Amino acid sequence: MLSLVARRLARLVVVLAGVSLVTFAILQVSGDPIALMMPEAPEADRAALRQSMGFNDPLAVQFARFVGNIVRGDFGQSFFHREAALPIVLARMPTTLLLTVFAMGLSLALAIPIGIMSAVRRNTAFDHTATLVVFLGTSMPVFWTGIMLILLFAVHFRVLPVSGWESWAALVLPAITLATFSTPLLLRIVRSSMLEVIGLDYVRTARAKGVSEWFVICRHALTNAALPLVTVAGLQFGLLLGGAIITETVFAVPGLGRLIVGAIRQLDFPIVQAGVFVLALIVVLVNFTVDMLYLYLNPQIRVR
Amino acid sequence: MAIGTLAPPMNAAAGPAFAEERSRVWRKLLRNPAAIAGALVLLVIVGAAVFAPYVAPHEPTRQSLIRRFTPPVWTAGGKPGYVLGTDQVGRDILSRMIHGARVSLLVGVAAVAVSLVVGVTLGLLSGFLRGRVDTVIMTVVDVTLSFPQLLLALAFVAALGPSLLTIIMVLGLTGWERYTRVVRAEVLALREKDFVEAARAIGASPARTLLRHLLPNTFSSIIVMSTLQVAQAILQEAALSFLGVGTGSAYPTWGQMISLGRDFVTVAWWLPTFPGLAILLTVLSINLVGDRLRDALDPRTS
Amino acid sequence: MKRCAPLAVVLALLACAVAPMPAVAQAKDTLTVALVSHAPTLDPHMHFERVGILVNINMFDSLLHRSTKLQFEPSLATSWKAISDTVWEFKIRKNVRFHNGDVMTPADVKYSFDRVIDQTKKSPQYGNIRAIKEVKVIDAETVHIITDKPFPLLLERLVFFPIVNKKHIETVGDQAFGTTSPVGTGPWKFVEWKRDQLIRLEAFDQHWRGKPAFKHLIFRAIPETATQVAEVKTGGVDIIRDVSADLVPELKTHPQAYISSTPILRVHYVNLDMRAAPFDKKAVRQAANYAIDKSAIIQKMMAGLGTQVATVVQPLAFGFDPEVKPYPFDQKKARELLAQAGYPNGVDITLHSSSVAYRPVFEAMAEMLTEVGIRTTPRMWDPGPAWNKFFQAEGKATQGAYGTWGNYSVFDADAVLHPLYHTEPGGWIGKWFTRVEGLDKLIDEARSTVDQPKRKRIYAQIQQIIREEAPSIFLWTQYDTLGISKKVQYAARPDEWLWLYDAKPAAR
Repeated sequence: MLSLVARRLARLVVVLAGVSLVTFAILQVSGDPIALMMPEAPEADRAALRQSMGFNDPLAVQFARFVGNIVRGDFGQSFFHREAALPIVLARMPTTLLLTVFAMGLSLALAIPIGIMSAVRRNTAFDHTATLVVFLGTSMPVFWTGIMLILLFAVHFRVLPVSGWESWAALVLPAITLATFSTPLLLRIVRSSMLEVIGLDYVRTARAKGVSEWFVICRHALTNAALPLVTVAGLQFGLLLGGAIITETVFAVPGLGRLIVGAIRQLDFPIVQAGVFVLALIVVLVNFTVDMLYLYLNPQIRVR
Repeated sequence: MAIGTLAPPMNAAAGPAFAEERSRVWRKLLRNPAAIAGALVLLVIVGAAVFAPYVAPHEPTRQSLIRRFTPPVWTAGGKPGYVLGTDQVGRDILSRMIHGARVSLLVGVAAVAVSLVVGVTLGLLSGFLRGRVDTVIMTVVDVTLSFPQLLLALAFVAALGPSLLTIIMVLGLTGWERYTRVVRAEVLALREKDFVEAARAIGASPARTLLRHLLPNTFSSIIVMSTLQVAQAILQEAALSFLGVGTGSAYPTWGQMISLGRDFVTVAWWLPTFPGLAILLTVLSINLVGDRLRDALDPRTS
Repeated sequence: MKRCAPLAVVLALLACAVAPMPAVAQAKDTLTVALVSHAPTLDPHMHFERVGILVNINMFDSLLHRSTKLQFEPSLATSWKAISDTVWEFKIRKNVRFHNGDVMTPADVKYSFDRVIDQTKKSPQYGNIRAIKEVKVIDAETVHIITDKPFPLLLERLVFFPIVNKKHIETVGDQAFGTTSPVGTGPWKFVEWKRDQLIRLEAFDQHWRGKPAFKHLIFRAIPETATQVAEVKTGGVDIIRDVSADLVPELKTHPQAYISSTPILRVHYVNLDMRAAPFDKKAVRQAANYAIDKSAIIQKMMAGLGTQVATVVQPLAFGFDPEVKPYPFDQKKARELLAQAGYPNGVDITLHSSSVAYRPVFEAMAEMLTEVGIRTTPRMWDPGPAWNKFFQAEGKATQGAYGTWGNYSVFDADAVLHPLYHTEPGGWIGKWFTRVEGLDKLIDEARSTVDQPKRKRIYAQIQQIIREEAPSIFLWTQYDTLGISKKVQYAARPDEWLWLYDAKPAAR
């Protein structure tokens, strides 16, 4: 067990190295940052700045310097904000995390009961309707869903705030918007996992013993769904973070996604690097946690 | 939790069994009304896209300031001939949507094609060769999966400048890892099977084994994955348009039409709504068909 | 129990997440304004964002102020006069307090200028006041501003040059000044800044003009137009800017909102690349000007909220010559000129634009040009790094680029002529596109004298030349359109400022 964990940890470090390489590469692709920082300056000034900021060094050297800095938590100073980049990014991170986790929670809260019902009432109107409705959510662009929800609940019915991050109520619409994204797949998994076990022997035995139907379902069948659910939920996290970028813009949520989008527009390298790296780090950590949970929950692997 | 695995090997060498397998899949599909409806819708959309210049009632770029913001024909103020209304410069929405189908589907299919080629190749190599190659490829997969696809796409397109090719390449190169994982899992499961041993015994080269025997067995998973990925690509392109990095060409995709029209949703609701419906129908149909396809190809659920 | 594990993880994460979310009351004494974003700093000298300026003017005062009729008014300077071609004298107002209680003195005035003139501070506004050589404190209420050569734009530039507290900044440092304690003399003082979310200000009771009508002022950052409009309709926000002409009818008739619109300096144009065919020929450039039906676009696409212009010099700017007439809409003439220039069968060009809000207008113009034979492919860009590189850094936006220019609220012809047409390397686009003989010299001549009548004559000459040479397709000036909640009384200003001191709760 310990060696497994150790191997996973080693893998994590390697992945992080790869992540930093890609982060480094994105910005090399976009051309000369100095020309964009000071388009009107004479070439002599630009050349001097280029030299002093180290953009003339060979790529390998620049990369090594980059990694060395990251390890110390130094992503440089944001060109736009003129402050250290990493603290700015970290200040916004909880907002995005809160939104994403909430959306994930909402997704699970919807997917589990509906999935169970769909499996139990398989191929009935309920099943088909649930499938359809849930798929509807995932078939529209996220920003469109968001705008529609605003028009419906905030403008027409006036039950929720349009945008912002001022109160718990402001969390609702963005979370729902994001949740429409991830619910379908989770629902399918719950449903198919349930279907797998519903006819199995030990379930029938439990029924025969007189245990109530619902208890049987919830206790035994859900356990089967837990594993794939956890795995997929972890994978979905990355997708949700992508969706969060859009949701944050529509609902004016002061999160990391919006910060990065703005930074990309302004070619604010340090923020883009710090932001992308932190997001990737979160995804890697989440996947690692999921991996560990998987190991813990899966009896077969543990025995080995 | 691999999708659509464990289908019985559809080896071309096992002729009659193969044909029977195929017809079983077809029969399963045809039994489902949702899948049929979805398939028909897709047929209409693809047909419209292919025959766009003949099907569209107007030139999609024809402007007219007088006809700006004409509402759909069935509402007050609608004009016959402009069924779904016109946009900010008087262009016919229906014609733009029909031509837009071309670009949207092109982006979707092309991006997926790129993903497919890269992903399947890497998956085959990874599963077949194992060892070092496998570790390297899977690490690359993990790294790519760590970045939200949209963020990577946004960063690259913003840096390289908007164009159809850039968007296709960027979406393609950020979406291949799913194929790799699935194909690798399949190959790992199958490589120990008898027919592979047999092939090796009669002296087939590794490449031949790979291409003739293993690859065909991954087709079902690839097909299912691709249909769903095309839907994803269309939605990702819409998201990129929303964030302002659309293709910038005269023939917009549906995603761009929604993005351009979204500010006017309260004064000209038809501008973003109809392209939105188009995406909805297309993606929904793809999902329904793909879903049933997966069910049909997977012997476990029946 | 195992199946609880995922749930437990989720809940734990939720609990750990920071949640500083107090409910904000939308009280009657609160004014909420929506901006598309915030500037990177609240330090008024260290940015050049419009959204930053709008916040700064409500927290800081400058030496001069502009009335709604665009006259100069005393602000922190009570009077001023030129004592020579290069020296201006300003009398500084007494008993003005900063938000932290300190009294404003001429030393603060000198310090404010010094921090921008000092190039080691890297202020982005340095270019605006480059001509100022030195600021001298003469006595307890007098200051001299000395320029290195005659600088006719000095008073204009002083309308937005906030005066800051020397002692305070020296104590807390530049960094803190721009983020956590921006102290000024303006009608509102700083309370808090939640980045990308809101800037909260509170009325400054000892403001020298008197207390403002609203106790609280909040600037929210809302990037999405549809969201802004929804907010003003539901009362979440009181003022939104840059309302698109097509949304004007909707807000005009909405029971909770109204529209306030006024002409401003922002001028629209299509700069033509004179380095290469076909716009190296004057006839083609003129043809392009005749091809555009400006009146139709203004009426049908801008809800009438625009004014045709003859050149890029705006009617509100000093130096504007009303004798120079706009190009009329004449397709026949356009085709003739095109044929004369050697393009009887038309010509193919590409035009670029990064003005997302005016995309439909851009596309309509491309269509109009195509109709006379200048077959135009319109290319839209996202205003970002790729566009900046293409357009500004490398000057590749051939054959032409659509743009707008607001003069940074300086009501003087130089503020638009120099950046657009001067070919010196520090210029904006002139260096790439403009090749008009003698234009540089005239522009330089006009900006190096303070003799206003002489400058007016030179600008009249310049306008005639550029009208004839047509280095751009001349279009129109736009209006500034605000969407305002009926709970608030405020009117849009011709300098695009949000001078919220003038805002009052609506009479019940």
